[in-house]
Amino acid sequence: MIFQKSSPKQYEEEQILAPVSPNTSQDNVETIVGPSVNVEGDFASEGNIIVKGSVAGSVHTSRHLVVEMGARIMANVRAGSAQIAGEVRGNMKIKESLELQSTARVLGDIEAKTLVIEAGALLLGKVTMPGLEENKPKTTRGFSKKSEEIAVMAE
Amino acid sequence: MYVYIYDNFLRHKKYESIVKSIEVRLTDYGIAGKILRLNNYTDAKPMIDDEIRRGAKTVVIVGNDVTLGNVLSRSATCDCVFAFLPVGTDNTIADVLGIPVGIEACDVLSRRRKERLDVGWMNNRYFISQLHVLPAKVEVIYDERFKAYANDKMEVVVCNLQPFYWQKDKKSQERLVVHPQDGKLEAFLRPLTKASWWGYKYESPSIFPFEEMEIVGKEPFTVEADGKISKEIKVKIKLAHGKIEMIVGRNRRF
Repeated sequence: MIFQKSSPKQYEEEQILAPVSPNTSQDNVETIVGPSVNVEGDFASEGNIIVKGSVAGSVHTSRHLVVEMGARIMANVRAGSAQIAGEVRGNMKIKESLELQSTARVLGDIEAKTLVIEAGALLLGKVTMPGLEENKPKTTRGFSKKSEEIAVMAE
Repeated sequence: MYVYIYDNFLRHKKYESIVKSIEVRLTDYGIAGKILRLNNYTDAKPMIDDEIRRGAKTVVIVGNDVTLGNVLSRSATCDCVFAFLPVGTDNTIADVLGIPVGIEACDVLSRRRKERLDVGWMNNRYFISQLHVLPAKVEVIYDERFKAYANDKMEVVVCNLQPFYWQKDKKSQERLVVHPQDGKLEAFLRPLTKASWWGYKYESPSIFPFEEMEIVGKEPFTVEADGKISKEIKVKIKLAHGKIEMIVGRNRRF
């Protein structure tokens, strides 16, 4: 019996017990500009972008952009959403939310739907929120309504 | 009709039993066929062309990643269905294709689930697994829109089917892996920086998915694609969509 060939059941058991390769979460490949890599030109990607090095020219993605601490972007940026912890010299046009972390340094104009600025972040430039511009004539009414509501709440 | 191409290493005694059991399983399924053996100086392309002329419809490659790369890179233009029976060690592509290593691969072969796969095209030849540029001062131009470069030497790995494995540093036990997607090639750039008085250390890699790129160097640099090594000064890499038809498993990664 010792020399009997292994049955298919044993094969199945071995397959189940086989170790799963680590880091399966890293399967989603996204564009990563690593540290000490420089990118020049129209840098565009369909997926998420993570910048750890430096980029000059322009950056465009319809999805999420992450600029890590120590990274430098000297370009105009267009992205779906962004999280900045490094340095950006250029105008940023973000469709959804922009988050400036405490280590962020931004020199340029910002256009974003939602803006989150953490204490310690440095910003030099004009901030525009497109939703407010469109409803400019209505804002006075809206504002008065809101103020009425606040007054009611206070009572 | 099935034709089986065995790699030379399968002659070794330690593979005798597994090869025998695979042959028995194939006979049970009624898909056994002619067996050809690769030698060091055999070109797979004329061999497969000959067999197609004799009526072969499916060419099954038996071996590991190196065998698959060697055969498919030369015979990607052949008009037949390819299949793969992974045997032994160094089988990372099998996992991507959803084919289990060893005798269970026969079950996948018998099911004949066919898919068209993309192949990488470099200067004047195809590559299946990986293209590797050894550390050199090179510049990478993507889709003629932007270029990436490092301050010093840089290693470039372009993955088609073979996943890319790397370690953060020599001491680190953790082995990181990125599985390639279908429909794109993935380029991994690893710049080297001076470690101390002598020696270099690798930085963490940059990843760029692309369809077309150029690697340009001021001096000739070494390129290795599917085991073939050459010196180049400019390499143009493209993706050839749906070039080969291959039998794949249900658990494939694309």
